[in-house]
Amino acid sequence: MIYVLTIYTLVAIINLPPLIKNGQKRELFAFIAFFIVAFVLSLLYAMDIEIPSPMEGLKYLIEDFMGLKYPEPK
Amino acid sequence: MNVERGKINVTQLFFCVTGFVEGSVLLVNFAVDMTKSQTWMAVLASIAVAIPVIYSYVALATRFPGLNVIQINDIVYGPILGKLISLYYIFFFALTFSFNNRDIGELYKTFIMPDAPMIFFLAAFAVTCAYAVHKGLEPLARVSHIIVAISFTVMLLIFLLLIDIMDFSNFLPLFDVPLISLIHSVHVITAIPFCESIAFLMIFGSLDKTEKAAKYVIWGLISGGFILLNVAVRNTAVLGNTETIWTSPSFESTRLIDIGTVLTRMDLLIGVIQTILIFFKASLLLYALATSVAQILGLKSYLPILLPLTAIEVILSATVYQSPVDHAMTTQNAGIFYSTPLLYFTPAITLLIAVIRKLPKSKRRKRS
Repeated sequence: MIYVLTIYTLVAIINLPPLIKNGQKRELFAFIAFFIVAFVLSLLYAMDIEIPSPMEGLKYLIEDFMGLKYPEPK
Repeated sequence: MNVERGKINVTQLFFCVTGFVEGSVLLVNFAVDMTKSQTWMAVLASIAVAIPVIYSYVALATRFPGLNVIQINDIVYGPILGKLISLYYIFFFALTFSFNNRDIGELYKTFIMPDAPMIFFLAAFAVTCAYAVHKGLEPLARVSHIIVAISFTVMLLIFLLLIDIMDFSNFLPLFDVPLISLIHSVHVITAIPFCESIAFLMIFGSLDKTEKAAKYVIWGLISGGFILLNVAVRNTAVLGNTETIWTSPSFESTRLIDIGTVLTRMDLLIGVIQTILIFFKASLLLYALATSVAQILGLKSYLPILLPLTAIEVILSATVYQSPVDHAMTTQNAGIFYSTPLLYFTPAITLLIAVIRKLPKSKRRKRS
């Protein structure tokens, strides 16, 4: 947990000042949006909270729902 | 406006494509379950299948010189449908980078440092790739020939050192693989090592001479395919039927090198070369991901979003598969089916629509 907080604080300190100084609003909003997503995911991972894998959803959709699957190799 | 301003030449592109295809050399194992000792045949068939598919990528890029696939989609499909299709590309780049990052994590966790937590390898590797991408496309392209030369030399050296224990009767009987298994194997090999080079649709726009790209890309594909063929032949000739039971046949076959009890434990070479090759491939994928996200959001540069995207990718890599077995099982079905429309049909359909609609229009005006 402490590593996550340290790393993300460092990333914010390095990236935010130039974006604010140069007035790059679009880049700033994009950075904040991705930063929040990354921070929340990292925090969940650090707290051992299960994060669903996108491959599980794809597996269900493709193999179970659509029935697209090769036969097991002999 | 393109988010990348650097330019690369066609020779660098050739080495980039070769290195990119070689980056999947470990993943030939996914096809071994289906075609066993006939995997070499599946590799050859995959090269034949991949050539026209990859030609469609180059033809699309050549029709829209200086543009990346996100810009091309906006022109061909319009801003809404174009962006939806671009999201499919971004989803593919994001997942493929996470798979490659995971490959490195599993490689180190399984063979090199089993007691270390995998998240450490995933984060360290992803940050190294992010550093390379931060430097831009040109530096990556400039090191491509060094990476290809080193990997080619190492693969050749390992092949030569193993020649005395190769048993070519391991390839017999020929043509005894069921057709469906061969198709499955070709699908896996075509999709993973070869057609993942769809990421180059984000790079072709940075070529100084896009019109000459086709020849270099196809030769790059064949050169990379030759290395995959070398690995498939080596593993079968050395390991025979046992090839299917190992987690990494390349590691196991290289471990058998024993020249006068002096030259042993050469599997370390495989570890090093795999790290270099996957680093190169993953860096190009991360570059494609960062530039495509920046392009779709209309940013001037991909640099501000690079680190947060890398962090998301690290968590994705850590959670995408439960284990190496789950990785292999999922890749052999859902992993190749989800990307099939994108890899095999989308660029060709985009090209067809562009030809029918006579796009790009500005090019035609200039000519007239």
